[in-house]
Amino acid sequence: MPNEAQSPYLPIPMHVLHAYYESTDRSLKTLELSFDEPQDAREFFAAFNPGQFCLLSVIGKGEAALGVASAAWEGDFVRFTVQKMGSVTTALHNLKPGDPIGIRGPLGNGFPLENWKGKNLVIIGGGCAFSTLYALTKHLHHPSNRGDYSKMTVIYGTRTSGLCMYKQDIAAWHQRDDMEVHQAVDVPEEDWLHHVGYVPDVVKEVSPSPVNSVAVVCGPPIMTKYTLPALVGLGFTPETIFTSLEKRMKCGVGKCGRCNLGPKYICKDGPVFSLAELNALPADL
Amino acid sequence: MNLILKKDQLNHLLNAWRQDYEVYAPQSLENFTHFLPLQDGFELAFDKAHNTRIPPKALFLPTSEALLKFTRFGGYEQVPSETAPRLIFGIRPCDAHAVTMLDTVFEQERYMDPHWVARRDAAVLIGLGCHVPCQTGFCTTVGSGPFNHAGLDAILTDLGEIFLVETLTEKGERLFTQLEIATEEQSTQASEGQQAAAASMPIAFETEWLKEKLDQNFVSPYWEEVSRSCLGCGVCTFLCPTCFCFDIVDEAQRGERVRNWDTCMFRTYSLEASGHNPRPSRVERTRQRLSHKYSYWVDQINQIGCTGCGRCVRYCPVGLDIRAMLRKAHQLPSEVAHAQ
Repeated sequence: MPNEAQSPYLPIPMHVLHAYYESTDRSLKTLELSFDEPQDAREFFAAFNPGQFCLLSVIGKGEAALGVASAAWEGDFVRFTVQKMGSVTTALHNLKPGDPIGIRGPLGNGFPLENWKGKNLVIIGGGCAFSTLYALTKHLHHPSNRGDYSKMTVIYGTRTSGLCMYKQDIAAWHQRDDMEVHQAVDVPEEDWLHHVGYVPDVVKEVSPSPVNSVAVVCGPPIMTKYTLPALVGLGFTPETIFTSLEKRMKCGVGKCGRCNLGPKYICKDGPVFSLAELNALPADL
Repeated sequence: MNLILKKDQLNHLLNAWRQDYEVYAPQSLENFTHFLPLQDGFELAFDKAHNTRIPPKALFLPTSEALLKFTRFGGYEQVPSETAPRLIFGIRPCDAHAVTMLDTVFEQERYMDPHWVARRDAAVLIGLGCHVPCQTGFCTTVGSGPFNHAGLDAILTDLGEIFLVETLTEKGERLFTQLEIATEEQSTQASEGQQAAAASMPIAFETEWLKEKLDQNFVSPYWEEVSRSCLGCGVCTFLCPTCFCFDIVDEAQRGERVRNWDTCMFRTYSLEASGHNPRPSRVERTRQRLSHKYSYWVDQINQIGCTGCGRCVRYCPVGLDIRAMLRKAHQLPSEVAHAQ
């Protein structure tokens, strides 16, 4: 009686469609992956929600968890931006168009978009953690989605302008009349026309209204640590502040135990949590 | 139904089962007992020790197991799950109970683990109750017991020359069709023995409000105090029947993606690529181990995630005793306890 049940550890076969550097220092590279089997693409996009992540698999090297940086309407591909950190991410950086790759996903809950309908969205990102917020913004830009939400404000900070991701697109966002964009760099740069300073300070400066609003924060731990109280200071309640957590992950499906945070697993119960939910969990991050 | 199995018939019965099953039972290997498949001329090792050193969870979640096999040109395929029928004889109730807890992890509706499910479906578990409970065990303290039925298809009670067999499932019933039915007297004798065994076990620590105390003292000098002598070797988790953490690594030379047992007691377990580590010292790692078992499992399945097998007590190289750690935890302040 052979068991042919689909393994949650079996990656979906894909190949690299495009690979290009995202930052001027070449630490960030974007991969756009396309499905080998059309059926897999249909199943993936039927399940996909912005804010979810995948485990990218380079055979012989291992797997790395990365947030999806594209919206479903963009086409039959999935975008990831990879920071070169260790052996797997180095292998990912070395991939060329046409190379095979596997992904497992989409995993996790993603942003609770249904509950956000009719609200103002304040989207706050820092560094390469902006990838899932980029997916969210792209998703919201689609004409069939944009009308479901009210005012949209994006605040995006990076250490330097060179580390800013999706530069062309974000430059175009400044021209849009259906959203407000605030970009920031940590230290002054010549010809920089936007904010200078750390994200929590920029949030205070922009001072988005908490009335009928939700804020979603994705960034490095230090940024998140200071941005969440800044939002509370502006009058946002813990139920209206959301963040996406990260921990080391292996299985991505709530089995290997690694991303355990109190009784939750970040991979399957998260990665998106409200501040109210986080306040009820141990500070084991 | 209660049946009688004469001890001198046991080997005959085990051999008969070997026709249809791969039969695993505790046998001696070097200094310890292990669940090993029975070979011709086997010798069971029930008398020397209660629990095998490595818990029988290893029969369902092997210490190392291939998930994928790499094929040429960057391809890969799923490694088929083992499904040969297995009979596990002589598993102690604490270990069988632990397997049912792991079922809640590996058989979640959303993501079934096919490897675990295949092995569980193909297995029959015949338990042996502990008529003389072990010194380090504390099963009755944590909601299990020396004759607990959880996870078992049948359970045996030692009555001297005979075993009283209680079949608990259809699977178990089918195995013992040839045996004579126990007399009322024998059943009573067994049930008295079972109760006496449980009653002989002292309560190792208070479990009331334990979860609340651990939760509310997440930041406390307590954790430093109880982890001070810990070496971080991880044996308490490796040999724990309810621990299930694993790592996934690519063994490029073997051409396999493998999962291996892992432990939250290691520094690298939670170390992130950025260098940040949410559990940088043994203090946080000990907190994770204890809180997972005595708080997080309770939230998840409303059961303490420990069956009191006592392995972590028996095998800790520095003699750290979870029972003493939890007695100490009970001294911690707690709002809930005070409110009562």
